Amino acid sequence: METVFISKLKPFLDAVAEQVELYVPKKVGDYYVFQRYDSSVEAAVEFNNIRTCTPVKEFLFPLRELAAVFPESFEPEDIKPFAIFGLKDCDLRSIEILDKVFLEEEFEDPFYVARREKMFVISSDCFDPGESCFCNVLDGKSYADSGFDLNVAPVKDGFVIEVGSDKGKEFIEEHSQLFTEVPEALLNERDENRTQTQKQLEQNNASLKFEAPIRDVMTDTQDSDVYDQEATTCVECQACTRVCPTCHCFYLYDTKQKDYFGKMKMWDSCMRLTYAQVAGGANPRKVLGDRLKHRLMHKLAYFFDRYGINMCVGCGRCVDAETGDIDIRTVLRKLNEELMNKKEAKAAK
Amino acid sequence: MNQNPYKPINGEITNIIDESPTIKTFVVVPEEKFKFKTGQFVELTLPGEGEAPFTPSSSPAETKKMDITIMKAGCVTTLLHQCKKGQKVGIRGPYGNGYPVEDFVGKQVYIVGGGVGLAPIRSLFLTLVDRIKDFKSVVCRFGAKRPDDFIYKNTLFGSWQKIDGVDMKLTVDEANGKWKSNVGVVTTILSANDVNIKSAVAVVCGPPIMMKFSTLKLLEFGFKPKDIYLSMEKNMSCGIGKCGHCMIGKYYVCKDGPVFTYEQIKSYPNIWD
Repeated sequence: METVFISKLKPFLDAVAEQVELYVPKKVGDYYVFQRYDSSVEAAVEFNNIRTCTPVKEFLFPLRELAAVFPESFEPEDIKPFAIFGLKDCDLRSIEILDKVFLEEEFEDPFYVARREKMFVISSDCFDPGESCFCNVLDGKSYADSGFDLNVAPVKDGFVIEVGSDKGKEFIEEHSQLFTEVPEALLNERDENRTQTQKQLEQNNASLKFEAPIRDVMTDTQDSDVYDQEATTCVECQACTRVCPTCHCFYLYDTKQKDYFGKMKMWDSCMRLTYAQVAGGANPRKVLGDRLKHRLMHKLAYFFDRYGINMCVGCGRCVDAETGDIDIRTVLRKLNEELMNKKEAKAAK
Repeated sequence: MNQNPYKPINGEITNIIDESPTIKTFVVVPEEKFKFKTGQFVELTLPGEGEAPFTPSSSPAETKKMDITIMKAGCVTTLLHQCKKGQKVGIRGPYGNGYPVEDFVGKQVYIVGGGVGLAPIRSLFLTLVDRIKDFKSVVCRFGAKRPDDFIYKNTLFGSWQKIDGVDMKLTVDEANGKWKSNVGVVTTILSANDVNIKSAVAVVCGPPIMMKFSTLKLLEFGFKPKDIYLSMEKNMSCGIGKCGHCMIGKYYVCKDGPVFTYEQIKSYPNIWD
């Protein structure tokens, strides 16, 4: 793919911000969050080595929005074009997953469609993967090779920018004065960095190996009591589903305003006790362990069976956000052990 | 811009029929053309209050209005029960697959229903009866708690009993003085002798516990899991396979259901709860 070189980020991001609202990572404490880019500030952006702690879904599918007005008609508000800088491969794969839900099959969500069309994606390569990053276990990488308009990779004395779409190409052509050709040596350096980071990820997660494809590990151990054991420390804060970039459950509710009746759409969480309860009081998942099971089975078995890809990208956000000490990697490890024991027991017979 | 799937069309409640102490049938007239297949459901909005899923109980052949039979069970249904004629409502849908009536052609249709589960079954029943000659026979085995709790009493105790090709038996958990038929849960009136197992399909709709034990009984009779059609009641909210509340395994009940064969869902956890 086409690549160009730029020595500093600021002129590049200024050029983006001149055209659209731009959001960039900002370090707060130990983590990065997205905030609006301000070109008047000299040090407005620092390169984020790893993903932000908040998920990209909030740009496409906000926490709460008005979805319909009754009885008058209503269309999504005029959504302005926007750009996000610093998305990682895990983020791009989470968008791919949300696209499956909101864009494919017979119903499209018009609000998601509107935002998705207006989003300009500037991804970047990862360095120093976090303790909780395990994307490599779920087919992820430390860098993206698709799903972006532009991708930024830091190298000595500057940045290699790769074009990933027509929109990206158009931007580079419009601002050709900012960029120069990439020397071969820098491309090699970028590739070497990528290999290094990927190796590091693999080392960090060397102990997370599976007997079978994860979908089969999940399905073959669906009667396991690991879920009940692991759920004993869960405090039902729902943080795992909030920060998860692929969790997309929502709650539709009706409101009465002065001039209209509204239907609101708000993030919901399958870890909530009454999430699946029906009016008569029946509830398929009264038990917390069953809710944890459903959440993980949805991510790693049900979604796969429906759409052919996993609904977990291994970003580790849920691990970082955990109040109750539940680590999805530990659950997976235990389920895998259980499967191995099952197989051994069967072989011994 | 695509059509907004969250936006209901306007409708009005034009009549309300008391069916049982806890169940009413609402006649709803949509302002726009509205077609559904038997077994599909709609999301009925009480403006500003809430929305809930119901399978219309009228025949799809009736296109100007639909009957929606509602048991007082939760917040929205309690408010609906307080509504009067003329109440404006919103309607989204129809959603889901409905009953695969064409697949039933030439077969015996063995219908087991209980309580308010007779609502979707009434729509199916009327659809089948319209072309009764296309089916070997229609066997109905319906139950309710007490005789008073049966819905559609006029037709159920009257004209439906006399239709050629229909074999109907009723039961109640608790009888009163006038009750002449069977006493016992619905499984007590299911009999292998009534089933033409070589060419039969079963349809089950009712409270979860009744669906579970009826299904087990039907399996005992030799029904294959793929020939038992279950109307699953889950928390269908968005209706379009996105919000996640109604999932059973990989299925969205709202989109892939609400009618499933037992074969489709038997391996998933907690289907009867």
